[in-house]
Amino acid sequence: MLRDPASNREKQLPWLDRAGEELVPKKRGVLRSLAMREWAPGTNRREFLRRAGGGLGALALAPWMIEAKQVGGQSVSHFPGRAKRVISLFMHGGPSQVDLWDPKPKLQELAGQVLPESFGEVMTRRRVAQNPLMAPVRGFSRHGQSGLPVSDFLPEMGRLADDLCVIRSCHGDSVNHPQSVYQMNTGSILMGRPSLGAWISYGLGSVNDSMPGFVVMPDPRGGLKGGPPAWGSGFLPARHQGVTMRPGKVPILNLRPPTERNSRQASTLDLVQQLNRRHLEARDHDDELEARIASYELAFRMQTEAPDLVDLSGESEVTRKLYGIDRPVTREFGTRCLLARRLIEKGVRFVQLYSGDTNGWDAHKNVEANHSEYCAATDLPVAGLLRDLKARGLLEDTLVIWGGEFGRMPMSEQGTGRDHNPWGYTTVLAGAGVRGGYAHGATDEVGLRAVENPVHVHDLHATILHLLGFDHERLTFLHNGLEARLTGVAGEVVTDLLA
Amino acid sequence: MKRVLPPYGIWILVIVSMATASREAKAEEEHDAKSYVEPEISERDRRFWAFRAPERPAVPQGERKEGTHPLDAFVEHTLRSVGIPGLSASAAPETILRRLAFQTTGLPPTPGEVRRFQTAWQKNPDAALDAAVSDWLARPAYGEHWAQHWLDVARFAETDGFEHDKVRSEAWRYRDWVIDALNQDLRYDRFVALQIAGDELEPENPEAWVATGFLLGGPDMPDINLEAERRHNVLNEMTGAIGAVFLGLTLECAQCHDHKSDPISQADFYRMRAVFEAFDLPKKNESLPVVFPVDGSREVEGNLYLRGDFRRPGPALAPGVPRIFLASEESEQVFGGHPRAEFARWLVREEQPLVARVIVNRVWAHYFGEPLVGSPSDFGKLGERPSHPDLLDWLAIEFMEQGWSLKWLHREILLSHTWRQASRLAPGANAEEEQDWRHRLEIDPDNRWLSRQRRQRLSGEMIRDSLLFLAGRLNSKPGGPGVRPPLPPEVTVTLLSKQWPVTRNPEEHDRRSIYLFARRNLRFPFFAAFDRPDPNQSCGRRYVSTTAPQALTLLNDDFVWRMSEATSQRAAASGPLETASERVDDAFRRVLGRLPDEEERRLGVRFLEQHPMEQFYLGLFNLSEFLYLD
Repeated sequence: MLRDPASNREKQLPWLDRAGEELVPKKRGVLRSLAMREWAPGTNRREFLRRAGGGLGALALAPWMIEAKQVGGQSVSHFPGRAKRVISLFMHGGPSQVDLWDPKPKLQELAGQVLPESFGEVMTRRRVAQNPLMAPVRGFSRHGQSGLPVSDFLPEMGRLADDLCVIRSCHGDSVNHPQSVYQMNTGSILMGRPSLGAWISYGLGSVNDSMPGFVVMPDPRGGLKGGPPAWGSGFLPARHQGVTMRPGKVPILNLRPPTERNSRQASTLDLVQQLNRRHLEARDHDDELEARIASYELAFRMQTEAPDLVDLSGESEVTRKLYGIDRPVTREFGTRCLLARRLIEKGVRFVQLYSGDTNGWDAHKNVEANHSEYCAATDLPVAGLLRDLKARGLLEDTLVIWGGEFGRMPMSEQGTGRDHNPWGYTTVLAGAGVRGGYAHGATDEVGLRAVENPVHVHDLHATILHLLGFDHERLTFLHNGLEARLTGVAGEVVTDLLA
Repeated sequence: MKRVLPPYGIWILVIVSMATASREAKAEEEHDAKSYVEPEISERDRRFWAFRAPERPAVPQGERKEGTHPLDAFVEHTLRSVGIPGLSASAAPETILRRLAFQTTGLPPTPGEVRRFQTAWQKNPDAALDAAVSDWLARPAYGEHWAQHWLDVARFAETDGFEHDKVRSEAWRYRDWVIDALNQDLRYDRFVALQIAGDELEPENPEAWVATGFLLGGPDMPDINLEAERRHNVLNEMTGAIGAVFLGLTLECAQCHDHKSDPISQADFYRMRAVFEAFDLPKKNESLPVVFPVDGSREVEGNLYLRGDFRRPGPALAPGVPRIFLASEESEQVFGGHPRAEFARWLVREEQPLVARVIVNRVWAHYFGEPLVGSPSDFGKLGERPSHPDLLDWLAIEFMEQGWSLKWLHREILLSHTWRQASRLAPGANAEEEQDWRHRLEIDPDNRWLSRQRRQRLSGEMIRDSLLFLAGRLNSKPGGPGVRPPLPPEVTVTLLSKQWPVTRNPEEHDRRSIYLFARRNLRFPFFAAFDRPDPNQSCGRRYVSTTAPQALTLLNDDFVWRMSEATSQRAAASGPLETASERVDDAFRRVLGRLPDEEERRLGVRFLEQHPMEQFYLGLFNLSEFLYLD
């Protein structure tokens, strides 16, 4: 529903005059907005739901969070999208583009020297602008028919080069972790805006009654810089925030009663539902009370479905190997990658995985050691996920995003490390409707700034929404009287990235 | 790549890196810098309802009976105009008392209080209610409950946010100041003024200094690289918050461009920001303090920042107020030596058209579930229009005349028949009453005209506090630093290490929700499930959702289980109850404030044949009747 949290229950359409003062339809596009298209003037939500077929009972069909705006979990995109869901693999800390995806022979050549003056002033986090340049720490190999170069840090992803769309010209606005984590996730360097996953959950809803639209699996070692607001819902209704999930017996908070309690929960639920129905009947069949009854039914279904979902015992040996679950180095991330696949199979729209604890890929010293560790833990699982999605026909309409909050500087830090670089870095896409075996845009000769076909974070977001069937200018939410959107007032779809 | 920048848009983002803008955009900006022209304010703008000072409306006489509460006269007048004869009947006394207790203090009445109120009501409903309202508004729990409403608006948290989310060790003093101010019924004009300039207005009173904690209550990144950027972000956030909280205007939309729909220019935004330019930014990596720090040597003049970019100062601006609030012939209101104190005094002048209306509307919303102006922090042109404009103005004017007393306002509302109305058709209603009720539902389906009361769900804080209260475990100790009860590891793992050191003394864990530590990067999970807002921006109104995780929380959370057990033990300890039927009655009385009907009693007795009493309490805690106020 396109609602300001400030006017919490959708009771009256915004263009209807309130005090009979001036009956002027608001032109600002409320009418154009998602879902509102389905509304006719003079209807309220209750009527809308009735008319949409199913009456009040239809509420019980709505997914996970009861007040979902579509009836029956139908997607309400602006046009048919290539992608139906997204898996975001977030490499927290900032992986180094010049060492992984963006080969820079010139950087090799200039290693040890300071950045030529022609590059001008460089804003950095740790004042490394005058430090000597550092050569890429690993070699690159060309892969596949496309001959796309990928670092030898990532041999497994390299083998899938023909499926990868490598955007070498990404750029953002802050040299700081939390601001950039927020920007990559929410479009804004300020904290508290709705995240991409929340927008997509809001836009598409879930197709499964028993699962949330947006699931996050943080690194079990925890400590994302910027914290849970990175998957928050901002001013969107709280039900769209990322639900954190983890492998193991209790994948979702409070999914089961405390272990020491002998719950006999089913009969408690029976009692609750019987009493709640009587309560409802005496209250004009209030749809909010009806929704509450339905929410208990959903909760009950989730309790049975979610543990099955994380139970990997039924997965074959081949699959486990594919994700590296059989090897200690890749087991943890591989398990989460496999869960990601199982989640999207269950209808979850947006699954986000974080790789990296508090420091993660943040290689201020010794890029070689840091990236060796993180690439070893993630390369095979990521490739396994892509292969598995492909084999199951899911890569056709699943968008996979690999990237961090920014990249790293061509200059060295503490001799062998690199500082943050938001001015030019790489994000990799694969799957639904993106051009494989393709490198888009370019950074300058040393990999410092995006110079050719630059793709700002807003452009990346606009493109992701486009792939999902949304015009980023029309996926809006009325907040404080404004139609707020993921891309602020900017963003342009990068059509070159589309297959 | 072509990037077309909208020539006239609302820029929510404060900073847009120059490096990202194309040559065209740069040219446009340079043009702006040379030629910022402030748009004129039109007569039409000045005529907009919210920018005109309220005038006392005549109380509708109509079919007014002797002694009708003026508030009711306004509501009934509107009801008659839409074809509804008058207000609904009053709710039952037990419903009224439950409503009163929760809405004033966030806690349920005890069974004894319910009984006494019922008896008093039989004799004289008006007198019974009058006495109960006085009683409940005088309880310290009133300030503790209403402070949360204010802290939502004031975007309060006890940490910085961003990466390190460090603790603001004195932030709780502001929270305590709010609670005390409400309990002492500090005049609202003073309440506002002290939050802007308590240090200047009452320099001898350190408590008043703490009130300025409001100004620096927003998120902040102490380790940001550039001091100028941090200062800019803090001052802009503060200015935007003052606009939303006190004026009910989306002022923050004017930091990068002139406001798109309201007559607030970019210069107006920075004029108001200039009031705070004496702000002395703490050192890098130091959190914002609770008392507004002032550097006396700073110029009391500010700048416009082109496109909201701290690197692009534009024309200089003297401290002032948005021009829409000045009479048309005045060109400027310039503040002299103590701009903050002068601004604070200006804000609460009786001619100020918004401040009283905005707070009256906020208070109203909590008693009726919907405010009179549906967008409580946006009274501008894109906001909603008041459903009862005369009532809003009457309340605002009376409120000021009654010494800006919030407790007066609470009483005025609580003693009205409008508030007392039932939210449903009484059981056993006759055919005529039923027909009247259908008529109301048909003519006023959304209850916009207040033809009945509106059912409201309890907040997460109210649910938690009530469970502690029913279990006899609520620790009513007031004030002090925020408390951290244990959290499950799957929650703490999302934080940096040592960000949730559990408070040692377990008794502290049972304190009221207002005293739980408010970490900006982590909403307490129980409250997050029940729609506690993100503390990163002012929240004028909580969204109310109905979700499966709420059900999971109430069915499975260890806290709820412990409270069920404790409530059951407490009931058992208070006297022997021989039969299952007696135990069911007792539990209903404790949790819902009433006795079960026959069918409910039968269901309860049958349940207890196979399940322990604590599980019955767990069930009752999951009832809609417990979670909603009728």
